[in-house]
Amino acid sequence: MSLKEKIERFKASRNRPADIESILSKAVEGLRSAGTAAGLSMGERAPDFSLPNQRGETVRLSERLARGPVVLSFYRGVW
Amino acid sequence: MNTIRALGADLVAVSPELPDNTLTMAEKHAIPIDILSDTTSEVLKKYRLWFKVPSEVKALYLDKFGIDLEKHNGAGRWELPVPATYVIDRNGIVLAGQADPDYSIRMEPADIVAAIRRSI
Repeated sequence: MSLKEKIERFKASRNRPADIESILSKAVEGLRSAGTAAGLSMGERAPDFSLPNQRGETVRLSERLARGPVVLSFYRGVW
Repeated sequence: MNTIRALGADLVAVSPELPDNTLTMAEKHAIPIDILSDTTSEVLKKYRLWFKVPSEVKALYLDKFGIDLEKHNGAGRWELPVPATYVIDRNGIVLAGQADPDYSIRMEPADIVAAIRRSI
């Protein structure tokens, strides 16, 4: 099963109230039409950065890339 | 995740959250990927993924979901990234990726693996 199918099944089983669904989908549409958070384009250079990891060690993207390709994922949080 | 590693690629995750102080050092060492904290949202902005949570959604999170983002992100930080995934080659070029304000739309793991295969 693809990830998309798994997410669709989860959404169908969740039964979220329509008023909540409506607030969230309006926010999504607002972001989409503003276009201010559309992310990087394909073929673009990924901006370098360094940030602390969970052990407080500094991780620099360019240093990781020197070793091989990187899958970089942005997520909202563990909540 | 193991397939990605086997192909010689690294996995790095970024969130606006403050570092998790509830984990012990052993637990932190057991996490097999780097989880980075962008506590100033500087990187989220550089990647054009940053947004401020609208007031109606903030109210929903607080009242209905019991999520106070300030507890996770720090004071005054009702802000998030649009969830995104990028496959970046050794030259720093974005080979494939996806960013969608609808957090239920995510890049397929099979597409991530296919992009890594193309890059090597």
